[in-house]
Amino acid sequence: MIRVESLTIREFRGVRDLTLDFKGKSFAICGPNGTGKSAVVDALEFVLTGNVSRLSGEGRGDISLKQHGPHVDRRSDPDKARVTVKVTIPSLNKTITIERSVKTPAAAHVTPNDPAVLQVLVQVQAHPEIVLSRRELIRYVLATPGERAEEVQALLHLDQVEQVRVGLQKIANSCEKQLPPIGTAVTLARENLLRALGIAELTKERMVAAANAQRAILGLPMLADLIESMSLKDGMATPGPAKPQLIPKTQALADIRAGREALAEITSVATTTRVAEVTADLTTLANDPAVAAGVKRETFYTTGMDLIEAGACPLCDTLWDLDALKKHVQTKIDRLKEASRRRIAAETKISPLIAGLRKVQAAINTVVGYAALATPPVAIEAARDYSTNCGTAVERLAAFMPLTETITVLPKLLIVPQAVFDAIGELEKAVDALPEPTKRDAAREWLTVAQERLEVWRETMRKEKAAKEQAQKARQVSDIYATTSDKVLAGIYAAVEKQFESIYSFVNRDDEDKFKAHLIPSMGKLGFDVDFYGRGFFPPGAYHSEGHQDSMGLSLYLALMRYLQGAAFTFAVLDDVLMSVDACHRREVCTLLKREFPNTQFIMTTHDPIWLRHMRTEGLIAERSAVQFRSWSVDHGPAQWDERDVWTEIDDHLKKNDVRAAAALLRYYLEYVSAELCHRLRAPVEFRGDAQYQLGELLPAAIKHMRELYSRAKGAANSWNQREIIEQLAAREEAFSMLAKTSNAEQWQVNVAVHFNSWDNLGKEDFEPVVKAFRGLLGGFTCSDCKEYLRVSLDRETPESLRCECGKTNINLRKKSA
Amino acid sequence: MTTSPSVEGTTDVPAQVFEKFLQALEGTGVSAELVARLRKTLLEDKTFTERALKEAVLAEEPLP
Repeated sequence: MIRVESLTIREFRGVRDLTLDFKGKSFAICGPNGTGKSAVVDALEFVLTGNVSRLSGEGRGDISLKQHGPHVDRRSDPDKARVTVKVTIPSLNKTITIERSVKTPAAAHVTPNDPAVLQVLVQVQAHPEIVLSRRELIRYVLATPGERAEEVQALLHLDQVEQVRVGLQKIANSCEKQLPPIGTAVTLARENLLRALGIAELTKERMVAAANAQRAILGLPMLADLIESMSLKDGMATPGPAKPQLIPKTQALADIRAGREALAEITSVATTTRVAEVTADLTTLANDPAVAAGVKRETFYTTGMDLIEAGACPLCDTLWDLDALKKHVQTKIDRLKEASRRRIAAETKISPLIAGLRKVQAAINTVVGYAALATPPVAIEAARDYSTNCGTAVERLAAFMPLTETITVLPKLLIVPQAVFDAIGELEKAVDALPEPTKRDAAREWLTVAQERLEVWRETMRKEKAAKEQAQKARQVSDIYATTSDKVLAGIYAAVEKQFESIYSFVNRDDEDKFKAHLIPSMGKLGFDVDFYGRGFFPPGAYHSEGHQDSMGLSLYLALMRYLQGAAFTFAVLDDVLMSVDACHRREVCTLLKREFPNTQFIMTTHDPIWLRHMRTEGLIAERSAVQFRSWSVDHGPAQWDERDVWTEIDDHLKKNDVRAAAALLRYYLEYVSAELCHRLRAPVEFRGDAQYQLGELLPAAIKHMRELYSRAKGAANSWNQREIIEQLAAREEAFSMLAKTSNAEQWQVNVAVHFNSWDNLGKEDFEPVVKAFRGLLGGFTCSDCKEYLRVSLDRETPESLRCECGKTNINLRKKSA
Repeated sequence: MTTSPSVEGTTDVPAQVFEKFLQALEGTGVSAELVARLRKTLLEDKTFTERALKEAVLAEEPLP
């Protein structure tokens, strides 16, 4: 997508004013802890995406980009905190500038801002994973399968895939959840219809036969069939009898009997046994505080999830990103799987009780309806109240929580007040006392009630059919989505797995060239097992070293990025990754990045100067494509090792007669630069296992080797019979020896500590010549033109020339072949 | 269509999954209207809320 040419940071995080010239190439930033490397990483992420992940997300508490993005002295003026980056877009062959201020992080000032450019920047913004820190890297490897899946999903933007999966599943679940009450309504309507028809089995033939028996009394034509558009009353004349009876006697008595049967069922031994079982289960749940709390929380979060419609918490109104809030709540729900399982088991047992109560309620309501029509009216309040209580109990049992209230409701279900039976008895007497209708009236009543109940049954059947079709369709869509997405993701993971194996075994080909790995996606999780030297597959943290784990993290990241961005993977920031990888394998990482990702610009930070050298020697970065931070101060931000700045700073200290500060800086700089000189000149230094080389070893070694190189160069020139060059080299050697002598450097190794500490006791006038001598000495190692330190150029480990970056100094070290 | 390349050939994994899903759905007897609604929601509007999905899946038949 992009390559970064240069970066300018002003008043941002720990930086006051800093410009880094990447030139679109891989670049390294090296420095001890706390010197400002991470601020550069933050600045890059900020200017490219408008966010700093280190200052946002989970666990960041009160820290925010807006408040803590600006330099601490500019925290009240976020507009001054600005980052500017110049980038090239290879696909468009354009160079653009992007500027952001912390005051308005979402608003990037892009020049030029034509649509094609903006489209690329939108893509860049959508890929914050261009920045990889060790913290994230290790999450790919050591996290739990669920957390790893989240990390990888975030990288592959699978959150949308997951959101749709959850959404479709919820729709299917909610459609299926409607079916039981609709099913109960159908059963009740069917039973009511059967009672009205006076038959035991609801078949078309029996319905037609029963209806025709009544129609014959009325002299109506026989029904040959019964289809949806037909009525049992077809052809029946209206109005009915001159003195119509409000209560259909026969039907009412049948319904009253049905009411009694429903009451008998709810107080039966079977119901009593079920209530006892459910009560025991719920009591066990309620007595286990962890499970009870889990069930309670699961209920709370599930309810909360349903209430999330806008970007605010439905409980406290705190503003959230809508997706982030849903994800946050869903994570909590997912963690309560056991509670959810036990809740579902208990709800399954409660379900028949709810159905029984609904049946009683419907039967009693029918009876209550007759009571109002009786003359004089029958007092039926007790039955009405009982019906209301049944409705409340249904709601209570369906709600499930709080458990204590549900448990309290259960035993009450078994108790039907005597007043209910008494009221029903009274009504039955009243109905029984009604005069018998004529045969024709009875037939008319029969057909009217039967048709009403047939219509109710047909309607509930239609609703049930529609609900079943919806549920089936929603489940089908959800299942197909789950199957398809799993298949696609399995394909993606297989491709990434192959890439990962290839990348990791390249880096570790010395001992793991046949390395294999398994990425196993399952139910929103991502298992990750790796081969351990042919002994089987284990989690990465089981047997592999920390260094190998770092290497795996980087390999998996690179595999994912290659899959995701393909040829557009042109830029990545590796923030202090691979610190546990040994020197040998770091070289292989350098080779890997250089060879396998030749079109990707890597910006890398490290606190290890040795790692920086590996990057240089392996050609991952050019000699000048690095910056070394030596210190940091709140007033000035990071300070780089820049020769001109160092001498100016030392002079400033001396002007203030602060010899101690000048001496400390000179020694610190000499320590840094003498290591650099030994590296550049390939000077032999006595090996130290801890790599803690002293200035007293390094600088004399560099001086000695420089002389040897001049001597070698003279020998080479002599072999080519280059008299003039021999003379020039002799003059250079003589001048260099004078500089070394002046600095008296060769005596340092005698007693390093005493010698350097004694600088502190010097006065300004005493120390100025020391500074001058060392400045001169270091100048002897540089090109007179470009002022860069000279380096030995090798041809397959054989010194070929002593040269500088600009090419002005190029001294041959190879003798003419014999 | 096996991949859904976006800017400069980057792989849009969600689009890739959605496209495969819609293809699979078409071959199962689900109505063409439903597939079209889901295509609009997932690939054109890019809205993934439960409400939007519900409208797409159940639009022709309100819940009974």
